[in-house]
Amino acid sequence: MGEGGIVRSFRYWHEIVLLVLIGVVFAFAQMFEPRFLQLDVQRELSTHIWEIAILCLPMTLIIITAGIDLSVGGMMALCAVTLGMLFQRGLSPWVAATMGIGVATLCGVLNGLVVTRIRVHPLIVTLATMAAFRGAAEGLSLARPVSSFPEAFGWLGQGVWWGLPVPAWCFMGLLLLTASAVGLSRWGSYCYAVGMNPEACRFAAVPVNRVLLGLYAFSGFASGLAAVLFVARRNTAKADIGMGIELLVITAVVTGGVSIFGGRGNLLGMVLGVLLIHETREFVSWRWSRDELNFVVMGLLLILSVLLHRWLTPANRNTS
Amino acid sequence: MKKRSGLGLILVGIALGVGCGGQPGGEGPEGAAPGTAGEDRKVTFYLVPKKKGLPYFSSCAEGARAAAAALGNVELIYDGPTDGSPEKQAAMIETFALKGADVIAVSPNDPDVVGPAMRKAREKGVHVITWDADGVADSREFFVNQATAQAIAYGMVDTMVRDLGGAEVSADVAIVTAYLTAANQNIWIEHMKERLASSASQLNLVAVKPSDEDQKLAFSVTQDLMKAYPAIKGFFGISSVSFPGAAEAVRQAGKTGEILVTGLATPNSMRSYVEDGTVKSVVLWNTAELGYLTVLVGEALATGTLSAGATEFDAGKLGKKKVEGDQVILGDIMVFTKETIGDFDF
Amino acid sequence: MDRFSKSSRWIALMGRNRAYGIFGLITLTVMVATAVSPSFLAPANVNDLLVQAAPIVIMACGVMVVILTAEIDISVGSMMGILAATLGVLTSPRHLDWPVPLAALAIMGLGAGMGAVNGVLVAFGKVPSIIVTLGMLTAFKGGTEFILEGGWITDLPEGLRFLGTGSILSIPISVGVALVVVGFTGWLLSRTSFGRRVYAVGSNQTAALYAGIPVRWVKLLTFTWSGFLVGVAVLVSAPQLSVIDSGFGTGYELLVVTCVVVGGVAISGGVGTVAGVVMATLLMTMISTVLIFLKLGENATYWSRSIQGCFILGAVLLDHWLRSQKRGWGRGES
Repeated sequence: MGEGGIVRSFRYWHEIVLLVLIGVVFAFAQMFEPRFLQLDVQRELSTHIWEIAILCLPMTLIIITAGIDLSVGGMMALCAVTLGMLFQRGLSPWVAATMGIGVATLCGVLNGLVVTRIRVHPLIVTLATMAAFRGAAEGLSLARPVSSFPEAFGWLGQGVWWGLPVPAWCFMGLLLLTASAVGLSRWGSYCYAVGMNPEACRFAAVPVNRVLLGLYAFSGFASGLAAVLFVARRNTAKADIGMGIELLVITAVVTGGVSIFGGRGNLLGMVLGVLLIHETREFVSWRWSRDELNFVVMGLLLILSVLLHRWLTPANRNTS
Repeated sequence: MKKRSGLGLILVGIALGVGCGGQPGGEGPEGAAPGTAGEDRKVTFYLVPKKKGLPYFSSCAEGARAAAAALGNVELIYDGPTDGSPEKQAAMIETFALKGADVIAVSPNDPDVVGPAMRKAREKGVHVITWDADGVADSREFFVNQATAQAIAYGMVDTMVRDLGGAEVSADVAIVTAYLTAANQNIWIEHMKERLASSASQLNLVAVKPSDEDQKLAFSVTQDLMKAYPAIKGFFGISSVSFPGAAEAVRQAGKTGEILVTGLATPNSMRSYVEDGTVKSVVLWNTAELGYLTVLVGEALATGTLSAGATEFDAGKLGKKKVEGDQVILGDIMVFTKETIGDFDF
Repeated sequence: MDRFSKSSRWIALMGRNRAYGIFGLITLTVMVATAVSPSFLAPANVNDLLVQAAPIVIMACGVMVVILTAEIDISVGSMMGILAATLGVLTSPRHLDWPVPLAALAIMGLGAGMGAVNGVLVAFGKVPSIIVTLGMLTAFKGGTEFILEGGWITDLPEGLRFLGTGSILSIPISVGVALVVVGFTGWLLSRTSFGRRVYAVGSNQTAALYAGIPVRWVKLLTFTWSGFLVGVAVLVSAPQLSVIDSGFGTGYELLVVTCVVVGGVAISGGVGTVAGVVMATLLMTMISTVLIFLKLGENATYWSRSIQGCFILGAVLLDHWLRSQKRGWGRGES
């Protein structure tokens, strides 16, 4: 029982599993493709993941509250289109970007209001707004792209600052803010509490509605920021950005050990999940150059990471 | 505990091993950085389609493989986004450039989105060319041009006009496109509208509907359009998924011969419709030759036998090809009809 | 046992309530569309609508049973794709050229088998269903590409095409099959002990376990059923078209889940009826057709996705309002 007790009470088995898996990927890379691990290569490949990582921050917290936000791609599209259209009408791209983020945040508030006031399950709300937001972006822009942003704005997405891509600094800044909000204020424990038992929270005077509203608004803000970085990186604002990104984000978050049933998971696991997904994806396409293989490996990896976690912690958790 | 993690590692090994198994014997080049030119170093050539898994691009790749085999010094890798996402295409170009490609030939799915990645690859010393569809200015050295967007669009409108009975016939037509945001299709639609409005046709465009690259949706959208606009006499299916979907809807409605469908697709997927008359003409070009020429142009760039300013390019078994500015011209578009479709199998 | 059947009756009533709301919405939509263009209610159009809805209804019947046990299955879209590709490879004369009945059996069996793999991982591997099926969604997508290898199946045999395009006694085969599946699922859920167990597992898993219900086996069976129905849906929908392409079924997972939850099935399990799901599917498939019949002009095309999203939200809000009218204050959690 002694060892079993330790095994069971240790809370970071999933993080260990992820670290081992990341190590396996790196070991394979070291053996077969040493160039893959070089710093300049890793730095440039990392530009593919920062927007997804930014979206993972609010998604982690929302999933911890047993919610979900499928509309992130739609909010990105709306932000990009706002940014593009305002820029086209002569506004400075920086002002336009701020307005775009504002619009996306408002979309997030809208999600939050429907979830908290009308109490419809977030899956349904965001399933509907996912289509509604993207449709609005298509309708407003008539699906036309806006391109040729000034180079200074492009720096936001393509530039390198102190050895790291600019979007990486955006992510790390946001991660720091989120982590301190979760770790140092009551908001963190509120999130977990809401995810475990919302009814009990209401009796315990936890401001459930304000927590949820804040989180969905944060998700909107993060989507806006991700969209701005994307537009700056690819120099194009169009209504199709972030199509299908919600599944990638959710995959990364649940790979990171965040329970879809709420109340469990942490930011560290999420970061490792994102890293594992990113490195695997890049390594597979680096090594084999067969895109369809990527899908198979990613799908199996997702299941495998959780399966390993289950085996390592027997009888610790049940299915729901 | 130990046993369990051992088991886990074995499983990971199997997962990755399955991956290895999927690819017979390390086809990828072994990380040769550009500039390390040796005696008989091969030219690492990446052929990037808009979307992998389309027979159109697969048949281009066939031609490209034939060219690589004929040249002997080309290591050809054919890979593109399975889901046709422009962002992923750009990411792949970045990966290929880092990996040490000599030539990357891209068919940009969205020139604006892919452009910066192509420019970045050029800065790294990679020869970037476009094929099938052109990119934005200064993102590539040459464009292997089988047909401009304008020629494709005009070609589709003109065959429709001809098949319906000539320039003086007036009728309603509709377009079933891929995604509303699909860059290539949108350029074609612009040019088609231009041609439809010109004196070359009396056709009246009543609707442009997306099919989201879903054949079933193309099918039902066409069904709905036929009923909502009974005067429609022709459909343009301007993606290789929407074309067969639209043709099937017309056939199942029993309107074969009354309503014509035309568009872009490989002959095999349209054969039965051409044979029964639902489709009179399929617009395309010789895809295998396009792939073949692309590889030759890329190899010539990498070995220095082709450079800016050339006016003619010797394309081996394809004969001499004209070079106009920075475009290598393959030839005209082809129109497959009942008489000629039997000669093609791709 | 008596108490149990009472509560399931109450559950059924709530679900039917949602069906009424959607039925109202359908009626309204049909009225508007018919007013603008009378041909909307022409038999040919109704026929096409039903054929279009049939495969989605069939899959929704499977996914709803899974959701009733408080699990979820979002692998159906890619499963559709990989099964369609397999069906094409099996029957096409250029490939394996199997006889159609044999291939049909194989596809249904394969579908059930894939569903069972999902089920085993969920019920016995204790991996949350969203992770298992999200993983399978991704893996199957790649698998389809491996099966087709960049080519499409363009030579489907006539016998197979009949499954998708033919009709018996002037009822299209797909619609007939959908009716049978709906009838059977309805019977399964409301009249059999398996159905009661499904609701029990979804309402309170722990209680179900203590009541001696083999929760794991129930879950395994629901996933198998869902996979089997994907096979059936592929058999009646893939041969509707002459070409099997590599994108077949892409995005259907979200469409099916939307139909199921708009149809009043609680995502937290235990609540929902087949009638609601069928109504919701009809509504969802109708929207895009209605938008074309309304002839709103070219720019409206760009707004159609938005309008569809608002419809979903509208259906849910309407339902919420109806329920709160009935119960004074209500948790419209659905």
